[in-house]
Amino acid sequence: MSRLLRHPMAVVGGLLLAVVVVASVAAPLLATSDPIKPSFGKRLQPPRVLGGTSAYVLGTDNLGRDIYARLLYGGRVSLALAASAVVLAASVGVTVGLAAGVLGGRLDDLVMRVADVQLAFPVIMLAIAIVAVVGTSPGALVSVLALSGWVLYARTVRAAVLTIRQLDYVEAARTLGASDLRVVVLHILPNTLAPILVIGSSQFATMVLLESGLSFLGMGVQPPQPSWGAMLAEGRDYLSNAWWLATVPGVAISLVVLGANLLGDGLRDLLDPRLRE
Amino acid sequence: MQSYLLRRLWQSALTLVGVSLLVFVILRVIPGDPAKMLLPEGAPPSAIEELNRELGLREPIWVQYGIFVRSVVRGDFGQSFQYRAPALRVVVERVPATIQLALTAMVLTVLVGVSIGVLAAVRRGTGYDYAGTVLAVLGQSLPNFWLGIMLVLLFGVTLRWLPTSGFQGWQYLVLPSITLAAFPTALVARLTRSSLLEILSQEYIRTGRAKGLAEPAVILRHALRNATIPLLTLLGLQIGTLLGGAVITESVFAWPGMGKLVVDAIFFRDFPVVQTVLILSATIFVAINLVIDVLYTVLDPRIRYG
Amino acid sequence: MNRREFLVGSGVVLGASAVRPTVAGAQAQPPRGHIIAGLSERMLTLDPANHYSISATSVLRHVYDPLLDVTNDDKFVPALAESWRPVNNTTWRFTLRKGVTFHDGTPFNADSVVFTLKRVRDGKLVKSFVYQDIEDVQKDGDYAVTVTTKRPFGSLPAHLTMLGMLPPIAAGSEDAFFQKPVGTGPFRFVSWTHGDHVELAANPKYWKPGIPKVEKVTVRFITELSTRAAALRAGEIHVIDRVSPDMVQTLKGTPGVKVLDTPAVEAQRWHFQLARDNVKDPRVRKAISLAIDRNVIIKDLLLGYARPVVNPVPPGLIGHTNLGQKPYDPEKAKQLLKQAGQSNLAIDFVLMKDLYPKQLEIAQAVAAMLGEVGIKVNIRNLEIATAREQRTAGNYDLFFSGWAHMPHDPDWYFGQWFTKAGAEKMTRFNDPKVEQLIAEGRVPDPKVRQQKYEEIERILWEDEPEIWPYYTVAIYAVSDKLRNFEARRDYYVLLSEVGIA
Repeated sequence: MSRLLRHPMAVVGGLLLAVVVVASVAAPLLATSDPIKPSFGKRLQPPRVLGGTSAYVLGTDNLGRDIYARLLYGGRVSLALAASAVVLAASVGVTVGLAAGVLGGRLDDLVMRVADVQLAFPVIMLAIAIVAVVGTSPGALVSVLALSGWVLYARTVRAAVLTIRQLDYVEAARTLGASDLRVVVLHILPNTLAPILVIGSSQFATMVLLESGLSFLGMGVQPPQPSWGAMLAEGRDYLSNAWWLATVPGVAISLVVLGANLLGDGLRDLLDPRLRE
Repeated sequence: MQSYLLRRLWQSALTLVGVSLLVFVILRVIPGDPAKMLLPEGAPPSAIEELNRELGLREPIWVQYGIFVRSVVRGDFGQSFQYRAPALRVVVERVPATIQLALTAMVLTVLVGVSIGVLAAVRRGTGYDYAGTVLAVLGQSLPNFWLGIMLVLLFGVTLRWLPTSGFQGWQYLVLPSITLAAFPTALVARLTRSSLLEILSQEYIRTGRAKGLAEPAVILRHALRNATIPLLTLLGLQIGTLLGGAVITESVFAWPGMGKLVVDAIFFRDFPVVQTVLILSATIFVAINLVIDVLYTVLDPRIRYG
Repeated sequence: MNRREFLVGSGVVLGASAVRPTVAGAQAQPPRGHIIAGLSERMLTLDPANHYSISATSVLRHVYDPLLDVTNDDKFVPALAESWRPVNNTTWRFTLRKGVTFHDGTPFNADSVVFTLKRVRDGKLVKSFVYQDIEDVQKDGDYAVTVTTKRPFGSLPAHLTMLGMLPPIAAGSEDAFFQKPVGTGPFRFVSWTHGDHVELAANPKYWKPGIPKVEKVTVRFITELSTRAAALRAGEIHVIDRVSPDMVQTLKGTPGVKVLDTPAVEAQRWHFQLARDNVKDPRVRKAISLAIDRNVIIKDLLLGYARPVVNPVPPGLIGHTNLGQKPYDPEKAKQLLKQAGQSNLAIDFVLMKDLYPKQLEIAQAVAAMLGEVGIKVNIRNLEIATAREQRTAGNYDLFFSGWAHMPHDPDWYFGQWFTKAGAEKMTRFNDPKVEQLIAEGRVPDPKVRQQKYEEIERILWEDEPEIWPYYTVAIYAVSDKLRNFEARRDYYVLLSEVGIA
């Protein structure tokens, strides 16, 4: 714990994330208006700070809905989806990358070629194919998002493993009889942590943006349910006259990314064995 | 190494065949009817059926694939359903613009990203580091279209320093490449900083005790080498993304690139164009991946493939 | 307003007067200047018979001439045909303009017309299905053509406004011809970069004196609205189409830019899947119609850039008559739903992604309105290909669509959506009385057509197989350097009579 406190930025990051998560979860308590019901006479009102009415602190959108309320409710959806997708992508990617790097040979070749094949397909096409087979459930959406991200983890981890497995102390552990698995978990995995954390904390934004891009396939939440991705998409056409529609969710995403980055960097400092005295 | 290369080349061929088969099947199995997309909403079902037959889509799928393979071997990737022109020509027309944008964005990414990362790591905890963090956060979280449209509004409309869209000269490259490079630059900056920090803290601790600070240049060089492999991995993937996945940037800047071409073709169910682009993409990914795997062994002689 | 007479008699009168140059026009200036247009839709082909896209029609109208044109106030006027008349219910006779040449110098005459019409009828082209009713095309001397049809084809002249005339040399080597096509139009084709832009150059020997006004036209395809508007605002291009209502303020506030708008020949239409239990009952459909406040959509969402609907067919077209606006009455809607035993209805509202401006916004507004009367709406915003498959399979209750009457004639609309054969794989509409009226409305006599179409419209207005929430308004923005630009109702951007300062 004291070690954690020696990394104030990590704490800041963690707190930031916690605030966002708690706010989203507490949306029903915090939101003062209905995020779904349109209010036609109140369209496109700027946020209070910029001269809007006092009723809407973050302004209203193209259907007169309270952006603050939509931000809170939308956060639930986006945080859950993006976080699940990142976790899934990282789990699959890291496992595959470890296996490919440690076991090498045919497995390595097979897995990397599968990755090549998949990379050739644009995400949208994979999404259409997946929807055709399993429908548009949230699970399908998370799968598509994860599918778009796992390869980076796999390749990065594999590269790190290739570097490390030749190292002396790893060889030494092997000759002393440590099983492969033990070697992997105790020696190799921690050394690959740094890039994994960097990538993982960077991918959140990408996942939200992807979610926004896939909503028209019927995946994810359908309008009028809010999500940060949906808010971005709807705000795209209003950038020159009502820029807050897309900017507000963009700022929210930035805050989450900031928190994730700081926390990720801090965790890396904590967990990286090479930094331990 | 010889046998490894041969093995990889053989697998590459297999991969390409696999991709061609997979894309062929997926296109014909997902819902969506190319004839319907070409004809207006008010066309009778008989006309739709006629056109599908005309496009060769009523043959059994293995017959279609056979015809496709025989043509590809002769360099004929079929006629684009949308444009009624050879699919290969339609795709190749987009290559120059795509490559120029990808290359420019790549160069920006490496130069700016690595610089920021190095500065942030070396000056850890200072204003430079914080500035770097802020830039990295912005780069990762700003949506492509937001950045692109804002840049156009500022530099194209208000200031009129740069053109707003299209591709007719080098100045048209500026805004799109900045937009495209934002995210990878941020990622590169963070990876660089992270990799550097690992080494720097070690070195400092070790050598600092030994004889006072060792030459910064030596430390930096050693540290950068540590960063190179993950960076190379990232960049390898980025090239592919830049080539085929820049659809949003291309839409915003009306850039005649392959990203928009393939996405439009998917929505339009223009099978020949989708097939051509995907086979081309697969070839590029396979080639890049091979080059990078070889580069790993050059950069770090400890790496061997077993 | 008795415009219908033009189809029969005044074609001759107008034809004669159009050939004689006006005094002012005789000393017309040579073409000068370069106009750059930014269109929202990519052009896909240079073959006028092989597409039904509004943007391609715009561009190709500059290269090819059709036999007749339609003006912005729905009058059919001569182009390559000086006059036309129905000889009987199944025969049309076209008298052609003399002294016209193609861009390569070959003369335009009846051979071209015969070739063009037979090619589109017999080929496997996108427009082929429209011309299947043509029995034969015969030349009558070099400057007259007689077209006989299997059934009455009263809307043939209207469809011909969209079919550019091709030279017979195109036969046999079409691929080569369409690399560098020639037509009789005011501009020559110079080059086409797929998906990016088209270059056109003035035809100095155009048969209309003083036309074109500019030397060069470049048409760029810019699908993103913000980018299109930005290019105009930055002075890089001179005209853009498909401006959204929300963009109007910004554009009006830009110096050097003007915004022009006109009611379009398009009705937004949300059609019901008539075989689905949910909406089979006409009371349910009526209730849904009563629960939608169309004025709010027009005023608040489309910012006044739409017009209230008084007939499935927009004003100006044959058959239009004022049937009064549909009322907004949520209380009555609730009662009707209760009567029909559907107080807790849930319906699927399918949209085709990005096809119509603000469609997602409007659909959400409708969902809220229907929610007020107890109907739950599931909005399904799908990519176009999937949406159309769902439509064929019948997996929807309400489908967001529209119909732009590009030929300025409603026969195609009725024939496609309200006959059994046409609607079979779409809405499953089936009403023998309407079917018969449609057949009877195909004769060339405009008085008969008007009467039959009015009957059809009354039936549809009562039965409500579709909801027509508003007529659209076409909004364009132009640089104030342009002279004489006309905001067209059919979304075409036509530049032959436009000059640049």
